[in-house]
Amino acid sequence: MFRFLIRISAFISKELAEILRQTPLILTLVLGPFLILLLFGIGYRSEARPLRTVFVLDGNSEMKQQVEEYAKNLGPQLIYEGTTSDQNAAMNNLRRGTVDVVVVVPPDAMETIQNNQQAVVTLYHNEIDPYQVSYVEAFGEAYIGAINQRLLHSATKQGQEQASSMQGTVQTARGSVQSLRQAMEQGGFQAVQSDKKDLVAKMENDLTKLDSQLTEFDRMQPNVMISPFKSEIKGLVRTRITPAEFFAPAVVILLLQHLAVTFASLAIVREHSSGSMELFRVSPLGSFEILIGKYLSYLIIGGILAAAITATIVLGLKVPMQGSWRDYALVLLVLLFTSLGLGFVISLVAKTEMQAVQYAMFLLLGSVFFSGFFLDLRYLLEPVRSISWALPATYGIRMLQDTALRGAPINALLLFALLGIGLALLMISWFLLRRRLQLSV
Amino acid sequence: MASPAKTDSPIIWSKDLSKEIGDQSIVRDINLNIPRGLIFGFIGPSGCGKTTTIRLLTGVYRPSDGEVRVIGKHPTNFTPRDRERIGYMPQHFALYPDLTVWENLRFAASIYGVGSGRTKRIRHLLEFTELQEHRRKLTRQISGGMKRRLSLAATLIHRPELLFLDEPTAGVDPVLRRKFWDYFEELRHEGATLFVTTQYVSEANYCDLVGIMIEGNLLIVDTPEGLRRSALGGEVVILKTQEYLATAYIDMINQLPFVQGRTERTGENEASIVVEEASTAMPALIEWCAKHNLSVDSIQAYLAPFDDVFVALIKKLSKDN
Repeated sequence: MFRFLIRISAFISKELAEILRQTPLILTLVLGPFLILLLFGIGYRSEARPLRTVFVLDGNSEMKQQVEEYAKNLGPQLIYEGTTSDQNAAMNNLRRGTVDVVVVVPPDAMETIQNNQQAVVTLYHNEIDPYQVSYVEAFGEAYIGAINQRLLHSATKQGQEQASSMQGTVQTARGSVQSLRQAMEQGGFQAVQSDKKDLVAKMENDLTKLDSQLTEFDRMQPNVMISPFKSEIKGLVRTRITPAEFFAPAVVILLLQHLAVTFASLAIVREHSSGSMELFRVSPLGSFEILIGKYLSYLIIGGILAAAITATIVLGLKVPMQGSWRDYALVLLVLLFTSLGLGFVISLVAKTEMQAVQYAMFLLLGSVFFSGFFLDLRYLLEPVRSISWALPATYGIRMLQDTALRGAPINALLLFALLGIGLALLMISWFLLRRRLQLSV
Repeated sequence: MASPAKTDSPIIWSKDLSKEIGDQSIVRDINLNIPRGLIFGFIGPSGCGKTTTIRLLTGVYRPSDGEVRVIGKHPTNFTPRDRERIGYMPQHFALYPDLTVWENLRFAASIYGVGSGRTKRIRHLLEFTELQEHRRKLTRQISGGMKRRLSLAATLIHRPELLFLDEPTAGVDPVLRRKFWDYFEELRHEGATLFVTTQYVSEANYCDLVGIMIEGNLLIVDTPEGLRRSALGGEVVILKTQEYLATAYIDMINQLPFVQGRTERTGENEASIVVEEASTAMPALIEWCAKHNLSVDSIQAYLAPFDDVFVALIKKLSKDN
């Protein structure tokens, strides 16, 4: 029994000594995820996102003043971006992302309502995230509901004014009837016929007026009275995207980024630990040749994996492809290139394979939180959002969603930004590798 | 083999070459003058600075002090072309365990830019190192000895004219060690210069020139015979007579002009005699025996084991210092 315990203690002391001698690694293991969560907690904006809204109205619309007044007073969820009569320009702004919602008010809205029909206000958005689509729909409903409520309020007030005028008419008619009755009691029917002709005519007129107002009220549809406006929500993307379809491009990007970073982060640190780096130093190999060779090999592997993952989601999960395959491939190529650069920098900074894997895992964790994978970037506060734009996945997810789900062409700014980061990482890794291959001491 | 430049200048030359790492002096004042086309054995115990010297000569380390020229250039100024003339086999296996033997050689060929005739060259080296049958095996699956042979084959792939082999026989069984030295001799015949480090003192026998290094200092550079001579004071002849070799005879032998050191009796009728040159001393000794009515049973030059030579040399050099 005693020997048994001694043998066990051999491993306890050995493992503890080994682990405790890697204090920086342990610290990063513990503190790294906490740091990511802390940043996320600081940067996450939990309140509902205000929508930048532009209104499309006919230039001569009698509703312009009302719309502006309502828009400015409908609460913090609506950021009033003005009114325009140019619907195409407004839609282009929506496509470009400078506004979130375009509200088109029909030019003949009042006429339609007067014709006893609901006026349809159309809200356009450019969301593909099912959660965001629901949010815009709820926003539209609430917005139109609020307008209807205000209109109902003003209509009730107007009705009360009309009722008071009608009350006057009724009192006048009642007065006429009393006068008529007195005349009849005093002078008989003949006298009434000759003296009170005007009074009778007035009475008839009042009653006709009353009758016509009541007929009009009676004719009105209850739903038009309660909700003179109704909303119709339309997305620029015609088909409704399911959550599975929405997350598919993001999953592809995140997987490929992680694979590329992991492969590359082990690539050079492994050469170093195996001793091959010393062979390279003595050989005619240059740092650029090593790096380009590694880039190309991992791009080939990444390309094969990307094809396999794409085939799985398109053929297996039936995720539709709205855009061009060429754009899709270009996005993945640039993403792989940039992710490899990130991996190589990790590989040249890390001292051991374990450290390299650890850094790659942090990057994955950070990407899950900050790349817009599960949470729209618009919910992150600006300083923290800059972390998102340092991650290749952020660019990749946006571009691939645009291409695959919206069928839109690649956003050139995003593509060149990602490519620029990739080239910068290539230069950094080249510099670090050169330094490592040069005289070590 | 790349044909070495026809010049008399040494392929490796250094003057007071020193290296310090941090505040520790690793090698001090190394002076080398190694001609082309021979095997230079660099012998010394583990940790004495052999690998550091190789790293200084191959340009991995920048010298702290002194001058150095390898294939006519300072190693830190080597161009890729210069590096193609050099082969380096590190002490530890640095190839890829998940590649096959053939794939590792193909990789080594590629990094040296060997294009045409690559397959033929790989086949030749596989035969040379007797790995032909194992070419499809993953390197992780082959034995330690095979890995050393594979490393050697990878070092030779581009036909270097100067080879740095850092302890190629370390941890290798005696039969394979012998084979390795046969390979090295073959390479030297083909015109290559080999700079071989080893901990095995006995391997000095296979070298044309030997340098002995202790604690960062290069104590001596000489031929194996020269080292023996330095260690023992000359060449050793063992004389065995049929009669008893009396002390008087030993004293007389000591008086002979060609005898250099002190003659020692190694048996009743046997003596170990240190002479200037064994080949001329042996007939003279036979003649001397005949003159003194001693029948020579046997007489032969004695090649002292290098372990003994090494120990004697260290003692002598320590005493001199």
